[in-house]
This record gives sequence, structure tokens and C-alpha cells, in this order.
Amino acid sequence: MEPSITTTRSRRLRRTSLAFALVLACSAPVTSLAKQTEEEKAAKAAAAQEKLLQVFVSEPYLELSTGPGRGYPVFRVVEREQSVDVLFRRTDWFKVRDEQGVEGWARARDMRRTKLADGSPFVFNLGDRAGFTSHDWELGIGGGDYGGANLISAYGAYSLTDYMKVELTLSQFLGNSSNGYKAELGLMHVIVPEWRISPILELGTGFVITEPRATIVLPSDRTDQTAYAGAGIRAYLTRRFFVRADYRWHTVFTSRDDNQELEEWKVVIACFF
Amino acid sequence: MESRNRLLLLTAAVAATFLLSGCASFRWPWHKDKVEKQQTEDEAAAEEEAEDADSTPPRVIEPNVARRKIKVPKIDNENWEVGLGMGFMSIEDFGTSSTYAAQLSYHVTEDFFFRLDAGQSTAGRTSFETLGGNIELLTGDERRFTYYSLSLGYNFLPGEVFLGRKLAMNSGFYLLGGIGSVKFAGDNRLTLNLGAGYRVLPTDWLAIHLGVQDRVFDSDLLGETKVTNNFETLLSATVFF
Repeated sequence: MEPSITTTRSRRLRRTSLAFALVLACSAPVTSLAKQTEEEKAAKAAAAQEKLLQVFVSEPYLELSTGPGRGYPVFRVVEREQSVDVLFRRTDWFKVRDEQGVEGWARARDMRRTKLADGSPFVFNLGDRAGFTSHDWELGIGGGDYGGANLISAYGAYSLTDYMKVELTLSQFLGNSSNGYKAELGLMHVIVPEWRISPILELGTGFVITEPRATIVLPSDRTDQTAYAGAGIRAYLTRRFFVRADYRWHTVFTSRDDNQELEEWKVVIACFF
Repeated sequence: MESRNRLLLLTAAVAATFLLSGCASFRWPWHKDKVEKQQTEDEAAAEEEAEDADSTPPRVIEPNVARRKIKVPKIDNENWEVGLGMGFMSIEDFGTSSTYAAQLSYHVTEDFFFRLDAGQSTAGRTSFETLGGNIELLTGDERRFTYYSLSLGYNFLPGEVFLGRKLAMNSGFYLLGGIGSVKFAGDNRLTLNLGAGYRVLPTDWLAIHLGVQDRVFDSDLLGETKVTNNFETLLSATVFF
């Protein structure tokens, strides 16, 4: 919220502030206490402010909007050579505070053209095609099929390099004969990260909890270790989104005599950041 | 006698003149050597200086100013949103009961977000049970309706709401769709969820949501398999971090 831009206060407001001042004058000890806490607050605010990044406008102006979206109106313009403090970032918008203390939202694309105090450009991850090639985190949700059962899946991955990622997959499968959950930790190798569509290879291990359906008489719940090898593709969609489709070949190390082999395929919509 | 003296003096004067001028104009051999030596020394020094100028780079004036080093602090990314809510869940054939839910969202762009919803409700009695007297279709534990869903949200109509003249709050109407699962009557079912919500942000970090979602799944509880629609209305408060 930006402060009000009204310069003349209404009579009612003036009356209210007069009454407020009177109350304050009557309660001197309370006032001093309040003053103290206010001083503390100011000190804290100043301390917090010291940690904020200050950037300088190097284009003719920087527009500030009332909200983090393309439709929100521009209510203020920061001129060239003036600075703004970066408060935080939400998606592709930065909440900033200008030299007059007015806060507003600046577009990431515009912030890319600002400079730091030493004159160097303000560099950050914009979340574009280049970010798809090289990023730290991935997050995705999707669905598919696991040995004939419906599969709901979510994964998170951390990039060790652009080529190699560690991923954790949590899934639930819902079948006719059994339901269950599985958690798997594995490595994902992106063959050509700079391509818009690239093949991927996967290898990992985890455990699976199988619950037989109530209608079918089978041994009770069991937990087994599982390992998988897989292959798939990932394709860049737009902004921070990409789609990933993969096939995994599972071996479930059951307590029975022979291991169970299961096929899994799924399609996932994912984002990187 | 006098003229003779005068002649002598004049002769002496002329001789002295010649003698002095001859001394001044005559270069003694040792003097010449000294001058030449001096000249060669000067030339050598000049050459040396010229050579020095060629071999060493020109002197750079170092400014006595310390260059400011900028340590870029980590910028706070506030894309995650977590919160709790309560509302009503209308479970098909089992009446409407209160529901409690938690939600976690990740805002990817200004338009799209991922959302995880998880909640719990307790199913009421079917009309068959109510009318039939002492019939219980489900046990107490089986009446627990536990669900979760993974959705993709789209901020369809972002905007602002105005409370009086002084207060404006950002808001947004969004659409949701995803897949999930429900555990009900001792069985897990795959669900599809579709919904919409309205979000108002009193501050940058706090949001109030009012949302409606339909959770659709196949059920064979009452004899035949059919698609059930289970509407959920939820009022929730979330914080961004």
C-alpha cells in the first residue's frame, strides 16, 4: 500500500489528531514509553534498512506500480540517478522504496537496467530461456501410470550442475488391487541442457508402501525397497515453465522369492527457480 | 726626446693590444679537449635518457581513492504462501459438514502458481440411514473424509479493492485445476479438482482467500459406481514467505 497522496487533511481528521494530541499530553509517562518503543522501532527499521540493496536508476525513469501485475496502474516515477531500496521480490516484480520513502512495485525487466552503487549492473535470475539451461531448483506436479494404477506425483530437484540433478519424487498410486505411496531419491542427467527439448536419464532408489484394497483379500500393508532406471524428455514451455515426460522401469525388492518388476510413465508440469 | 718616448708607449700599447687579443682568440690544445669531452658526456647522457624513456612504461598516476566494494545482499524472494482455512464440504449423499484445510502455494509467475491443498472433513448420514432407522453404512472411522490435491492456478482477474477513500488492497480472482486423492469409507480414490477463488491482500504478506472447489471421484459405496461431485467452500488466511 502506498501512503495517501492527499496533502490537505479533512477537518474531521484534524479534530481527531487534536484529540489524540490531548490524550498524549495527559498521559506523559505512557508517551515517554511509547516514544522509547518508537525509537527502538526506528532503530530496528534503520538496521533492517542497512541490509537492503540500493540500486540506481540509469534509464530515464523507473515506473512503480501499485501491485505486482501488468495491469496495476503506475502511480510513481523514479528519475534517473535516484536510488531505490529493494525490499523483496515476488515472481517477476520487486517491491522497492524510493528516496522519499514511497513504496511500489517495479518490473523485473526494468530493474535489470538499474545499476549498483559502484556502477555495475544489477544482475539477477530473470526466469527465461537462459534460466531453463542453468538454474538451482525444479518443482513439478503430474500424473501417470504405475503398473496399471493411477499415479499422482510431485517432485523437487536440486541442480548439482546444469547436467546433473538430485531429485526427490513423492507419489501415490491408486489401483484396482492395491493403493500405496512411494518416495524415491535419484539422479537425473540432462543430456543437453541448452536445448529447448532435451533427453534425460534417471537412476534412483526408494521405498514403496503398498496397501491392498479392502475388497481384495491379500496380506496386510507392506513396505519394500525399490530401484529404478528411467529415460525421458524435458521441453521448455514459456517463462519458468517446462514439461517433462518420463518412463521408469522399477524393480521392487519384495520379501517374496522373486522381485516385482513394474513400469511407470508420467507427465509432469514443472517450474524452475 | 719627448716624441721618442711617445713612440715607445704607442708601440707598447699596440703590442699589448695584439697580445691580449691573441690570447683571447687562441685555443689552447688542452682547453679544446676539455670542451669536446664535456660535449660527448652531455650527448651520452641525453641518449641514455632517451633509451630509458623507450624501455620503461609511462608512469601511471594512481588515484588515492578506495574503490567501493558492493556486497549484494540476498534478495528476499516471497513466492511461497502457506495458510489454514475452514469451511464446508458437501460430500455427495452424505450431507454437508465442516472442513479444515491447509494450503501451500508457490507462485511461479504473476499469472501461474502451484498449490497443494490438504484437508479433513467428517461425512454425515445419508438419507437412507436417516430414514431407515438403525442402519449404519459406515463406521465412525470410515466417515472421515481426508483429501489432498496438487493444482495449477491461474490468476485470472487481478485487481484492487477499495475500502473507503483511503484504503486500497490488491486482490485477484483465480482458477484452479488439478489431481489428488481422497481417503473415504476405507478406500483411496483418485480425484480431479476444479475450482475458483478470490484473494484479497490487506498487506503484502497476508492474504485472505475465499474459494470453492469441486472434488470429483468415482464411488461405488451405494451399490453402483458413479461419479460424485463434492463441493468445498473454504475461507482461509495465508502468509507469504
